[in-house]
Amino acid sequence: MDGHAWGMTRIDVQDLRKEYGSTRAVDRLTFAVEPGRVTGFLGPNGAGKSTTLRILLGLDRPTSGTALIGGRRYADLAEPLREVGALLDAQAAHGSRTARAHLRALAASNRIPVRRVDEVLEQAGLAAVAGRRIRTFSLGMRQRLGMAAALLGDPAVVVLDEPSNGLDPEGIVWTRELMRSLAREGRTVLVSSHLMHETASFADHLVVLGRGRLLADTAMRDFIDSRIKPRVRLRTTEGGRLRSLLLGKGLDPVQREDGCWTVEGARVEDIGAIAAREGIPVLELAQEEATLEQAYLDLTTDEAEYASAAPTSNQEA
Amino acid sequence: MSYPAALHAEWIKIRSLRSLVGALLAVPLATAGLSLLICGTLGRPTPGSTDFDPVLFSYYGLNFGQLAAIVFGVIAMGGEYKNAGIRISLAAVPNRTLFYAAKLATLGGCVFAVGLVASLISFLGGQALMDQGFGVGISDPGALRAVVGCGCYLALISLLAAGVAAVLRSVTGALSVLVPLFLILPFVVGDMSQGGGAADFLPDRAGQQILLQHPAGALGPWSGTAVLVAWTALAVGAGWWALWRRDA
Repeated sequence: MDGHAWGMTRIDVQDLRKEYGSTRAVDRLTFAVEPGRVTGFLGPNGAGKSTTLRILLGLDRPTSGTALIGGRRYADLAEPLREVGALLDAQAAHGSRTARAHLRALAASNRIPVRRVDEVLEQAGLAAVAGRRIRTFSLGMRQRLGMAAALLGDPAVVVLDEPSNGLDPEGIVWTRELMRSLAREGRTVLVSSHLMHETASFADHLVVLGRGRLLADTAMRDFIDSRIKPRVRLRTTEGGRLRSLLLGKGLDPVQREDGCWTVEGARVEDIGAIAAREGIPVLELAQEEATLEQAYLDLTTDEAEYASAAPTSNQEA
Repeated sequence: MSYPAALHAEWIKIRSLRSLVGALLAVPLATAGLSLLICGTLGRPTPGSTDFDPVLFSYYGLNFGQLAAIVFGVIAMGGEYKNAGIRISLAAVPNRTLFYAAKLATLGGCVFAVGLVASLISFLGGQALMDQGFGVGISDPGALRAVVGCGCYLALISLLAAGVAAVLRSVTGALSVLVPLFLILPFVVGDMSQGGGAADFLPDRAGQQILLQHPAGALGPWSGTAVLVAWTALAVGAGWWALWRRDA
């Protein structure tokens, strides 16, 4: 991380609980979000992601536990928009205001210079429509406006709830690049999503929730590797010989109907070396990378089994 | 978090909504416009009326101007809750008491300013338009009190309306409480208790005592205003409690 002026602002969620009546939306949740990387906040709808983010931003009160930003509660920040930028709900901005007026009011409340309003409008690609009423905006334009609002105070921490919602492909790429560059600059970036493929394209680290509880808090690569075994696909003219060699190494190659072999739990480097040493001709050799989606489904399948085995006291909120 | 910054933000919010600017301008337009119209056309008390009050006579339009002040207060506060927009506001100003105080001060200040203008025009214009011998001057007893009192009255009921909107977190919900309170209840309660009584203590009746040159009934100009202040404090206090207490 380069030593930018923001310093190292962590998000610390500690033993957080939130109950609505008898419904437990967030259940003893503990995790940290580190600066300098994009942390994906994953979970199905109703897993407690938005509740956690609202508590983090001081909008909802936790039943118990704490959610701190740089060691302080959000509500105790003097001018919070200068420290934390958030996009919670793109529909929340008042439709009858212009984009510029919306941002100007936010800037004024935190004594952010007015020039920042035009800068972030420009950055979000909304400069041309800054004078239009927000109700005339498409969902994608509202998302961009929400991102502009989050960036207004040049914050060290950026929290985005489902930022790709309603965005066109260009907007999705823009959002992804923006999040990556914010993290590169040393900022703390927490992005919730229920879209695996999307999250895989920008996250370095994952915090996974299910029914209000923490299921995983790990680097994305580790998350995938720990759940889904790597697999190698190969074609060879001497399948039988290679098979017996690999069986001797504890691997179990299986021949598919099309003649290809797949080897679970192996990497191309190992198999390529063995084949070369033994002079076995290899016609094709490829690593089949597991996706975040596979890993996530594997995790949630475990969870579902756990949930159906255990008494169903935890409901989704 | 600074109070001037929060005030500045609230001022921008009011300025940038057409509905709010419209409601705010409707306060002097309705109050002064209708007051001048009545003073100019009627010009004198209807023959045989015993309770003619020359000062109050030039505030006829207030009955309509106050509705604009109520609508303004309700939209300014209740509009925040549309589509959970309050979350954006509270994320910017997480100190809810500060946010609430800044919003109330801004909206109340705006209504007081336009209300005072409306009041001056209503009084000076209205008295000038009345027939010879019926009008009074600003230096006559109770006149200046009424001119300032009208501005205060409008500001107080806009605050009351904003407080109700904060409790109910909805524009329509607040209007469905306030419209009966100001338009229907005074007549219902007034009919039930002839010659004053409970109706005198309703916010509009009590608050408008300050517009009378010679107030009659249970409340005088200042005690009447005090009753309106109490109503307003109740609504504003309840609104603060709801905002402070509940999840946004």
